This record gives sequence, C-alpha cells and structure tokens, in this order.
Amino acid sequence: MSQEIDKRIYEHPILKFERRRPVYILFEDKRIKAYENETVAAALYAAGVIQFSYSAKYHRPRGPFCMIGKCSQCLMRVNGVPHVRTCITPVEDGMTVEFEHGHDAELPTPKQPIHVEKKNIEYDVVIIGSGPAGLSAAIQAARAGAKVAVLDQSPVLGGQLIKQTHKFFGTKESFAGTRGVDIAKMLVDEVKDYDENIDIYPSTQAIGYFRREKVLVAFQTKSLGKYNLLNLKGKSYVIATGAMERSLVFPGNDLPGVMGAGAAQTLMNVFGIRPAEEPLIIGAGNVGVIIAYQAAQAGIKVKAVIDILPKTAAYLVHAAKIRRMGIPILMRHTVQEAYGNGKVEGATVYEVDDKFRKVPGSEKNIEIDGIWLAVGLTPSVEVLDLMGAQIKFVPELGGYVPLRTPFLETTVSNVFVAGDASCIEEASTAMMEGKIAGASAVLNIGFKNDKVEKERKNAVEWLDMFRSSPHYARIKQGLQKVLVQG
Amino acid sequence: MGDVKRKDSKVEGQKIIEAGYVTVNDLKKVGNIPSDEIVERYAVPIIDCLEEIPCTPCHDVCPTGAIVMPTMNDRPRVKWEACTGCTLCAQACPGLAITIVNIPFAKKMFKRDDLALVSIPYEMLPIPKKGDKVIVYNRGHELLGEAEVFSVIKSPKFGTVLVNIVVPRKWAYEAKYIELKR
Repeated sequence: MSQEIDKRIYEHPILKFERRRPVYILFEDKRIKAYENETVAAALYAAGVIQFSYSAKYHRPRGPFCMIGKCSQCLMRVNGVPHVRTCITPVEDGMTVEFEHGHDAELPTPKQPIHVEKKNIEYDVVIIGSGPAGLSAAIQAARAGAKVAVLDQSPVLGGQLIKQTHKFFGTKESFAGTRGVDIAKMLVDEVKDYDENIDIYPSTQAIGYFRREKVLVAFQTKSLGKYNLLNLKGKSYVIATGAMERSLVFPGNDLPGVMGAGAAQTLMNVFGIRPAEEPLIIGAGNVGVIIAYQAAQAGIKVKAVIDILPKTAAYLVHAAKIRRMGIPILMRHTVQEAYGNGKVEGATVYEVDDKFRKVPGSEKNIEIDGIWLAVGLTPSVEVLDLMGAQIKFVPELGGYVPLRTPFLETTVSNVFVAGDASCIEEASTAMMEGKIAGASAVLNIGFKNDKVEKERKNAVEWLDMFRSSPHYARIKQGLQKVLVQG
Repeated sequence: MGDVKRKDSKVEGQKIIEAGYVTVNDLKKVGNIPSDEIVERYAVPIIDCLEEIPCTPCHDVCPTGAIVMPTMNDRPRVKWEACTGCTLCAQACPGLAITIVNIPFAKKMFKRDDLALVSIPYEMLPIPKKGDKVIVYNRGHELLGEAEVFSVIKSPKFGTVLVNIVVPRKWAYEAKYIELKR
C-alpha cells in the first residue's frame, strides 16, 4: 500500500519553498503526508488527489477552482465538521478529511465539541482583506494613530501578492522591479511595525452587517472546532475584498483539473506543488502568459495557450517571454469541450474567424491533464452590497462595482473600497487605492496627519499618471461611469 | 463578452508589430538599434519595449542616466554614449525585454571582429555555468545555433540571472533565449 505520488517542487529558479514540520492527515482512510504550513487542499493535491467533491444533483466529480477561499468546490468534511473550505484550512497532524456527497451532510459529526466565543470590539477602522490594498490602507490608518482591524479569510496575510513571482511593473513608489512575493513581505513587515495599532484577524470571514448599528459580523476559525464570533464596530470601513476568477462555459468545465489560472498559481508558487504536468491555458492576456511562464519555471510543460482574440491583450513583453521559449500560443482559438474519466484528460479546441464563428474542420484534440482558465476576474463586492453601497455593472471595470468618490468612499458614508473590489486592475494600483482609502478612512473621522494626507495626494496623482497609459484607456473610461462627488 | 474588443488600447507598439512578436526590423524602425559606429565603441542595451506602459525600473536603476523616460508611460530611449554596459537594466527589467550586446568587449577579449558578447536575462532551471554549451533562439523561438557561456551574473537583488554568451556577430541582435544543451 504505497501511494508515493509527490507533486511538490523541490527546485525553483526564483522561490525557496520552506516546508515546516511534516504531519500526516487521513483522507478517506489513506494516510497522506503534509507539511504544517500547507493547507488541506494543497496537501491533497501534492498527493495526487484532484477530486474534492461531488455536485449536489448529479454527483459529478469536482475539484477546487479558486484555491483562495472564494468558490465552494473544495468543501469537505474535516474532523467531522462539514463544508470546510479545505483551500484555506491549514493541516493539523491526525486530521481526518472526507468527501461530502451533495447536501447529505449538513450536520457536524465532530470528534471534539465545538466552541464558539463571542466578542464585541470597537475600532476606528475595520479593513476587510489583507492584500496589497488592505495592507496599504492599514498602514496609512495606523500611521495617523487609528486603531485598526484587518480581516482576511486566508490564514496568511498578503492576498494574491504571495503568489506573484514576477517583477512588478510601475515605478519606485509602487515597488516596481520587485517581485510580488517580496512586496508582500515588505507590507506585512510594515504592518507589524504598527502592531500596537493594528489587530490582525486571519482565517476570518465577514458574514453579515447590521446597517443601523454599523456592526460587521465575522467568523474566525482559531482551529477546527474553535471559533470566534466577532461583532466589530468600525467608525469607518475599508473593503478590499479583491476579486474572483471567472469561469468559462463549455462542456466538461467542471471536471477535476479544470481550475482558475490563479488557483494553479497558488499551488505552484505558494505551496510549490505542480497542479498539472501538461496543462492547457485558456486566455492569453497578462494572467495567461505570466502563468505559462511561471509554469515553465516550475518544470511544467504547457501544451498551449489559446485565446479567441486575434491579438494578445497582454503586455507584449510578457507575451514575448513565452513566445521566445516556444510555448505554443494559438490566437483565434477557443475550447469546444473538455473530456476525461473523472478528471480532465483532453480538450477539443477550434479556430474562429473574424466574427468569432467556428472555422469548419478546425477542431483539434489536445491531450492534457489540466485546464487553467485565465479569462478575467470579477470584483468581489458581496460585502459592499450587504452594507448598502450602490453597485453598478461596468464591464470596463470587470463587472459589478460600487460607485465611489475620488477618495474611494462608496455611497455609504465612511465605507471605502480599494483594490480589485473597486476595479480589476493591478497590484500596484491596488496599493495606491489602499493608501487613498486608508487615509480617507481616518481623515474622515477626525484624525489629522499631514504625512498621511500628503501620501493620499501623491497616490491620487500617481494613479492619474498610471492610468494615462494607452493600456488603461478602457479602465479610465469605466471609472468615469462610477465616479460620484463626495 | 464585454472586453473582447480593445479598440481604445491600440498602442503604437502593437501597430508596429506584424509578426506577433518584436523583430529586429521593428526595433530599427523605432530607433532601438544603434548605428554601426556606436556598436563598435559601446556596449548597447537592446530594449524590446515598444508599448507605452507604466513601467520604470530600467530607468530607475541606470547609474548614468542613459535610459531616458520623461514620464512612467514613455517608452525607454537609450543615450548610447552614456551607457557603460553595466547590465543593471537587463537584470531589473520586469519584462525581461533587455539584452546587452557588447562588441568592444568581444574584440578585446577574443581579438576577433566577428564575435559579440550578449547578456541574456534568464529565470529558468537549470542555470547554465561558465563554459556550458547552450542552444540559442531568436524572439520567435527559431533556432540560431549553439554558443558557449562566457560567464553568469547572479544578483540576489534582482533574482534574474544574466547569462553572457559568445555568439557570431550576425546573431547579436537576434539572440534572445537560450536553453542548456543536454
């Protein structure tokens, strides 16, 4: 009984994977080796497990899609607790992990009793999201002397910066030339410098908001079976909840092995695990080509990057990186279906003409063991909606986004938005928006600080300049549609 | 499918590029390839960056101000005479779009007129070592031939390795990617 599949990456040109103490978890009675700083989903993937759940009605096999706690395809029963998001749940020695079969498993069957502790805490600023926007906001707010809470549903701070291994564009002000992983460390270090002002709540999900009382309800997992129910009252809020990867509609798109490109990136770059050996990437924009490049760095052979457009929407320098390596880029191509027995084993792709119609006879079958979808992102505005912020559909900005003032205040007084939740853009712009929102969140409630005010002014100017690039003309247009005066 | 058409973001670079990737001809058109006279005298950065994107690390890192960029969205322009061939821009560029062509060094080192030292930014494994044979490709992954690694620069600050290879001079502007020969 030796299952010795190990998809971990041990040598990488850019990253060093620090794996802590080895532990063992039980998955459907199989003993699986994991490392303490891995999540349950990462450990399963490393051991070659790619099916995590079944669809409720037809019991179709499903695998994780987002790997960042946004979708529900990795829900499993862990230590008897149902519906656990395995992708954001750290492993513990001896943990039991089981399939859930549809909705037949609503009730917990805990091995240990469940403790929920209730806490009511007041803050000047409550920030949801610890990515580039949330952390930048926290730093500005703390700098002005405010008492700040930062919530994130992930156990780790840094949002999606922690998987960005490429050097960033932008300027010195936005840490250009530095890799996202390193920017995450710098921001986290800076936040820790303000530990008297900033309380961090990892593994914490915002689940409700009382509008009249202005109280946010959040649920923090201390460890499985031990929870805090937090009633957080903020004088102001910064919502930096990021974005969710889009899926694409085609038969077989729910087969295990089909995932968001960002999910593949999380496995490769955060945990050092190969999500596939020979994937197909759909979407040759910046995300698609960057991930193809990062796959090559992880020793993965990308079969092709396909895109329905005639020309790539990526920065040419990013596209050029994979072009010169000989990774096939098929423009004017899209996917007809994915097929496979319980997991993705192949895909049929075809060519399109100028009107995006299928070119007859152009179908090709490609043998693959993964499909990574890089077809755009949608802002995560659920919490803003809950809070009563006015939301508008603006395709240029990625979907439903809140109306906002030039200082990023939504239509709800003292509720601010920053980062991808405001508009799908870049990590560098998220940092600048975080600065603006964080500064405004404290300046609006009576804090005075010249430095913070100056930082806000600089960030506004920087964003104006950044968005004057022809590449951001469309975003600039979209922003006009959601701008309201404060 | 709201974002299929991108009419507004037709930028200069995309208009120039016909092949789907930058060619030496494209670079010549925009002045990114120096004159023969310059090449004989100076090490030169060849910058495959034709779009107006907000990105400044090459400009920021240059110790002599040889890379001119009035605003963050301007394309980098090189003052050839000011370049010392230090290679920092090639290591810093997030797009890995810069190679350094050094003909004066090749002339001095190998006492030959038909060779060039080309510094190639590299972020893959295995990392070549001095003396290794590598296969050299152009921007479209067309095979140019074999070359020997003269030296390798590894700076922890950038993480991008610079592999210096000796190639026939006619490949100097074409050489853009390498693979270790196994």
